[in-house]
Amino acid sequence: MKFTHVAAVSLAIGSAIALTACSSSTTPNTKPEPSTASVSYEIDPTLTGTITAGGSSAQANAQAAWTAAFNARAKGVTINYDKSQGSGGGVTNFTAGSYDFAGSDSPLKPEQVTAAEAVCGTDGAIDLPVYLDGVAVIYNLPGVTDLKLSSETIAKIFSLKITTWDDAAIKAENPDATLPSTPITTVTRSDGSGTTTNFTNFLSQTSPSIWTYTPGNTWPVAGSSAQQGGSGVVNTVKAGTGTIGYADHSAIGDVTAAAIKAGSSKDYVEFSAKGASNAFALAATAAPTTVEGDLSKKLDYTKINDKSAYPIPLLSYLIVCKTFESADQAKLTKAYASYIASDEGQAVANKNAGSAPLPTDALQEIQKSLALIK
Amino acid sequence: MTVLSRQSRLTGKEPGPIRNTLATGALPRFTELYVLLGALVIMGGAFLLMGFNLGGWLFLSAILYLVGIGALSAVVENRRKALDRIVRSLVVIAFLLAIAPLVSTLVTVTAKGIGELNWGFISQTGGAVFDPATLKVTITTGALQAIVGTLEITGMAALMSIPIGILTAIYLVEYARPGQWMARTVTFLVDVMTGIPSIVAGLFAFSLFALLVGPKAFSGFSASVALSVLMIPIVVRSCEEMLRLVPHDLREASFALGVSRFSTIVKIVLPTALAGIITGVMLAIARVIGETAPIFMAASFTDNFNANLFSGPMQTLPVLAYTGYKFPGQDIAASNASAWGAALLLVLIVVVLNIIARVIARIFAPKTR
Amino acid sequence: MSTSIRSRETGGPATEPATGGPTGARPPRGAGTVRVKSRPADRIFFGLSFGSAVAIMVILAAVALFLIIQAMPAILANWQSNPDLNEGPTSGFANFWSYVGPLIWGTLWASAIALVIGAPIAIGIALFISHYAPRRIAGVLGYLVDLLAAVPSIVFGLWGIIVIRPLLLPLTDWLSDNLGWIPIFAGAPSSTGSTILAGAVVLAVMILPIISSISREIFLQTPRLHEEAALALGATKWEMIRMAVFPYARSGIVSATLLGLGRALGETMAIALIISPSIGFSVKILTEGSNSQTIAANIALNFPIATSLQREALLGTGLMLFVISLAVNFVARGIVARSTPGRPKRTKRRAAPPDQGAPAGGAMIAGAAFAEPAAPETKGLQA
Repeated sequence: MKFTHVAAVSLAIGSAIALTACSSSTTPNTKPEPSTASVSYEIDPTLTGTITAGGSSAQANAQAAWTAAFNARAKGVTINYDKSQGSGGGVTNFTAGSYDFAGSDSPLKPEQVTAAEAVCGTDGAIDLPVYLDGVAVIYNLPGVTDLKLSSETIAKIFSLKITTWDDAAIKAENPDATLPSTPITTVTRSDGSGTTTNFTNFLSQTSPSIWTYTPGNTWPVAGSSAQQGGSGVVNTVKAGTGTIGYADHSAIGDVTAAAIKAGSSKDYVEFSAKGASNAFALAATAAPTTVEGDLSKKLDYTKINDKSAYPIPLLSYLIVCKTFESADQAKLTKAYASYIASDEGQAVANKNAGSAPLPTDALQEIQKSLALIK
Repeated sequence: MTVLSRQSRLTGKEPGPIRNTLATGALPRFTELYVLLGALVIMGGAFLLMGFNLGGWLFLSAILYLVGIGALSAVVENRRKALDRIVRSLVVIAFLLAIAPLVSTLVTVTAKGIGELNWGFISQTGGAVFDPATLKVTITTGALQAIVGTLEITGMAALMSIPIGILTAIYLVEYARPGQWMARTVTFLVDVMTGIPSIVAGLFAFSLFALLVGPKAFSGFSASVALSVLMIPIVVRSCEEMLRLVPHDLREASFALGVSRFSTIVKIVLPTALAGIITGVMLAIARVIGETAPIFMAASFTDNFNANLFSGPMQTLPVLAYTGYKFPGQDIAASNASAWGAALLLVLIVVVLNIIARVIARIFAPKTR
Repeated sequence: MSTSIRSRETGGPATEPATGGPTGARPPRGAGTVRVKSRPADRIFFGLSFGSAVAIMVILAAVALFLIIQAMPAILANWQSNPDLNEGPTSGFANFWSYVGPLIWGTLWASAIALVIGAPIAIGIALFISHYAPRRIAGVLGYLVDLLAAVPSIVFGLWGIIVIRPLLLPLTDWLSDNLGWIPIFAGAPSSTGSTILAGAVVLAVMILPIISSISREIFLQTPRLHEEAALALGATKWEMIRMAVFPYARSGIVSATLLGLGRALGETMAIALIISPSIGFSVKILTEGSNSQTIAANIALNFPIATSLQREALLGTGLMLFVISLAVNFVARGIVARSTPGRPKRTKRRAAPPDQGAPAGGAMIAGAAFAEPAAPETKGLQA
């Protein structure tokens, strides 16, 4: 008797909280700037359960921060995000039903969309862009601390058309620097990676005449020093002389990164969180999709030619079913994703993982899509 | 009658009197040492002129020493003795060559990991503390979840594969006829399995459990099965060799006394081969305790503490080390430090296991030496 | 007496390799087929052993079957037209065999170099500990070498990056400058040290403890009588080892080397971390961009990013690793079978005509001295 009494009361309270949670996805803004709305989300502290997920390692640090922040309010929730699986592994496990959501550096391909319907039902799965970062071009050259490179020069360096540091093209862009005649060693990824996809997309779109390789997740140019993992690239660049490589900006630590000029722009831009957000706003357009609520984006790097925008942004998605078998699991996963796509979530990722917060309208789009999850 | 030497039997030529090798001269006691010092000095001088390189100096000194001692011994003593001296030097050099990477590896691991190794690291689970006011997540490093995971997963894998491996080796050596199809098939399969990549074993275990349990089949037990697949060939192969080396006299004496086959194997053959079997078993354990890929495939990844072997992801020490290096947090130095700490902890665990195994071998093996 | 010797050599359970057989004649009755009273404990124990063997067969066959089923779609697919296989790690290959061919080469090449570096040293260490080291510290030294096996492969990978890569850079430069005309040393030398040479050196260090421990145990099992008899006849220590220890240990050394080779073939972490790979047939060991990739490292590097058909292609390469292991083991067992004492063999001595010139005779003596396992001498000592 007492038990049912308690159960009824907690059910009432729980549903009240859930209702308020559903309706408070956008609150009137309380920030100083009157023109931007804010996206906030209240975490329900009575949530319990386990979320099993995995995928892209680019998001890994952000996922760890989000997990810690979520756990601080909802102590009964366990979240396991497997960052070793990579985007491909994450999607494969997701379409097999092993994961509640997957982290992936690229949205689902058509055949993966079909495979997702097998586990998600006819509603299918949606891709939500939740993580924004940039690809940094890092280098180690004694005596040179602020290198400026245009996208054409970068394309030439990484396609091994420029082989020494004192080449005319580099000198032209860095008239004040003393460039030695050290040969250039390009350091790239030996494992398939979303960072490579983003970087080769950038090179291919901004310098198509120089970079003639098809963009993809495997490095296409033979003869570079290929290392395993972003940390491998960073460590090798750091340990060598005359090395240049590319890596997620949040993972480069204290290695120097070059300032990049894109396309027709006149300015060399260094990485900043605001720069990546602005780049996203300029370059991201909705990709064609058949699933309602899907927010896959196409990045057009040629549109990034403003000095406030960093030329090489990197986007990573959270892929989740619209229909879950268990309503509790749906509620739990939806709560976590909603937190990620809130202002506080993005600020937590920015502070602890070095990512860039997504623009508010993107977050609002995501919250609308999340409302479709049941 | 002249004693025919080997040479004359083959060539048919009549030999002269054989040199009595027992009556040749002998090199004085510390010749080897002097020749070594001489070689080091000469090469040192040469390198000082050319540009010093430690490896090159040691290598060329060794060559000069070998040539020198061989020539000296061949002239003063005889060719057989010279060959003997050269081989002895080569063997010592081989040993020193092994000690170098051993010392280097252990020094690297210890130097980089010792700073991290304190009671807190061993007894705490790795965690993260969130401060809602500053939005800062502070990460506390801890390896307890990894230590428990390693011991449980490897322990279960050993529990499954050691009995199976030893019993199979016993079957192959004691019971099977040499040409029997069963023995040949088992040997064939074990041969093939020695080269299996660990990632394949992990994928196999995961698929097996996904078939049995359902899609969310990550568990420590699944990882144990994967590790068993990797361990079994090593255990079978090494135990087979050790059992084959037990002299037949012992077995036959035992049978002659009317002892049953079971008792012979358990009380005579196994204890005689015990030291070797334990070496083989320790090799197998050491091999799999450091694996990462099967754990990722079969037990997924988690930072949380999980002591239940049969449900949910588990973390092990090599996984902690690997992720600390490959997926560092914002503080790269701290992640690397915790990676090295986990690696050092793993080495210490295996060292302790090794010592325990040796003690067991000493207690139970028959005293022969 | 002679019956027991014959049984030891022809019918006993443990001297024959499993693939070979005795001379062909049926063993004399009573030799090797010992009749003992069968007690329940015997039957249970036999059942357990037999059951374990069956269990192994089932498990390992299941793994092989799993691989074959998973890999078949990728092996049979049309690589040129399939969109899945046209991008990512599998892009640019005409079919499965042109993808896995260079990988097989890379695996064998890296393992061969590691074995050439590591196996002689390992056997030397085992010899040292079992025969040359002072008795009191031999145990401790053996334990020290076994410590190398305690180090996890991730540590070897990191140690390789931190210590071995910079260490080998001067050697790489020197070899490239002075011996660059030899094909394996050709090509532009690497500046970061991510070469197959560095990887093979680390692999050699990793397989050292396996080969060394097992060889050491085997050397220690050599009958003291044989050793002391050889020494009593005036043999030097090396000759004693050659005559008494090696023939006894031959099959064991081959097994140990095969276990080490198996480790080298399947080693993932160290190769993936250290080497800058490329998929192609190359013998160069000093360059940055011409290091043939191995199968296991390729799987580890590309599995996370692989989509379903690409995964199956990677598993197909794993299947090929099985085939390689099988082939290598088959060859090795053949070597052991042909050189085990007790089998009739065509001795080189009798084949040589007596009026050959001195150099050929000398070479033959050298060949006979080193290649012959000295079985006749061993037999003589036994009788």
